[in-house]
Amino acid sequence: MPQDTPSPIDLPEPELDEAGLGWSFGVVLIASLFLLCANAVSLRDWIDDQPPSSAQQQAAEWADEWVDTSEGLGIGLPRKAMHDQWKRVEEKRFPGAGQKERAESPGE
Amino acid sequence: MLFPTLSFGLFFLVVFTIVWAANGSNEWRKILLLVASWVFYGAWDWRFVALLIGSALLNWGSAELIWYNREASAARRRAIMIAGVTGNLLILGFFKYYGFFVEQLGDILHAAGYARDLPLMQVVLPVGISFFTFQGMSYLADVHAERLAPAKLLDVTLLMSFFPHLVAGPIVRGSDLLPQFEESPRLTRDMASIGLILIVWGLFKKAVVASELSTGLVDPVFFDPAAHSRLDLIAAAYGYAVQIYCDFSAYSDMAIGIAALLGYRFPLNFNQPYRAQSLQDFWRRWHISLSSWLRDYLYIGALGGSRRGFARQCINLMLTMLLGGLWHGAKWTFVIWGGLHGGVLALERIWDRIRPEGFPRLPRVVGILITFHIVLVGWIFFRAESFDAAIAFLRGIGTAGVASDVLTPLACVLILFGMAIHFTPANLGQRLALQVRLLPAWALGLLVGITILIVDAMRFEGVAPFIYYQF
Repeated sequence: MPQDTPSPIDLPEPELDEAGLGWSFGVVLIASLFLLCANAVSLRDWIDDQPPSSAQQQAAEWADEWVDTSEGLGIGLPRKAMHDQWKRVEEKRFPGAGQKERAESPGE
Repeated sequence: MLFPTLSFGLFFLVVFTIVWAANGSNEWRKILLLVASWVFYGAWDWRFVALLIGSALLNWGSAELIWYNREASAARRRAIMIAGVTGNLLILGFFKYYGFFVEQLGDILHAAGYARDLPLMQVVLPVGISFFTFQGMSYLADVHAERLAPAKLLDVTLLMSFFPHLVAGPIVRGSDLLPQFEESPRLTRDMASIGLILIVWGLFKKAVVASELSTGLVDPVFFDPAAHSRLDLIAAAYGYAVQIYCDFSAYSDMAIGIAALLGYRFPLNFNQPYRAQSLQDFWRRWHISLSSWLRDYLYIGALGGSRRGFARQCINLMLTMLLGGLWHGAKWTFVIWGGLHGGVLALERIWDRIRPEGFPRLPRVVGILITFHIVLVGWIFFRAESFDAAIAFLRGIGTAGVASDVLTPLACVLILFGMAIHFTPANLGQRLALQVRLLPAWALGLLVGITILIVDAMRFEGVAPFIYYQF
């Protein structure tokens, strides 16, 4: 590979001798399986967004069942808990925020 | 097909598997990557895949002609190169600037008393056209200068179509990528480790920081500056500076990471730009692939750089930045943004020349603060819908009240975070990769999965297109 142009890919220490292809496949496979189990909601939402068809309807039913199963087993709960917590952080306001709107609205 | 979506994730899993399975034959591997790139591009609009192929044919053919005539006169070779570059500019000009120039011409004719109906038409802008035409032009210039031998049609087409960089860069030059296409790549643990880190980091910057700031703060304030307080306007200006960095650098990080997982090395595109001490320093850190392209092919190659005297050098700087502004889009606000950068770059050169001997230099922190705030003013023009809107925004900062309705504690934290990451060690990601590459596959797989899960739980519902898709 040409080394004239800097790249973030270049690490500051010599390359490891071990082969990387099988290892990388392993990493990608484990990460995908983990997300399939722990993030079933995203898969269901994505399937729901696809153009309607008989295959999409069938997939949506399976995805709903999979969400129920993962929540029943408790593996979908960490994501839900983190998401709820994040929503609470998003909704936090500084004291006094929104007073301008209220003052300008004669109906209130 | 946006990077931070499940559609792209599934697409990439399929491509990753098939391409590495075909690694025994480099030609088949490249053909598969090319088809995958067309599928990726066709997800926006299939019609423009033909434009991509046509553009590749133009550049491949022109380069072959230049090479075929290498024994002929320099003028002939230069004429072929100029014809090829003009072809690229015509494609870019038609799709990107036709409406803008016809509108301006209409205004000029109207002002001169010639009311004419000009042939206005709605031209759809193909995604990424500015990137692949610039790639094509630099390829021709490199072959003409004999910095690069012409490549095979398959390689040139893949160079211009390769999906990780296709729609929003980095502008990967032929000299960087074509030699890598000559043999089957090898995926090392180093490349996979840093590639995964860049993808996850990019996902966080885009899906959490940029999207949250855009939706909650920047978009509502820039949509109607007059309805917001001084504090909102100031926060939105800082918010946009962080948003555009986190948005665009996220795309570059993910593109570099995706290419690394496919075995290719892309150049650095961002290097903590807001820690720059001068505007010249800023342009060595921001969108490096575009700024170095403009420097090598426009400022030095076409305009002559500093070879024709100091005054001409300053004019060349200004012209380069004005055209750089226009590259972003057919709007006067981009021209003003480019003019501001060009003007300050020229002033920096003039000050360097007239600065009295022994005159103290600015402390580093002051240089950083001044540079950042010049960039910040530029971003207001860059983001505003029109010149009038930008001026209204700037006036509002000087006059409106201080009560805020849109600034939230989370937005403040994200702005501070977006600034703070500019002052961490520059090679933090690489140092992390050195640790990560030693982990067993199952442990790293779980770590990647958990990190993506956390980002997904924090992300804003729905992902807006990257800012640079429109360019």
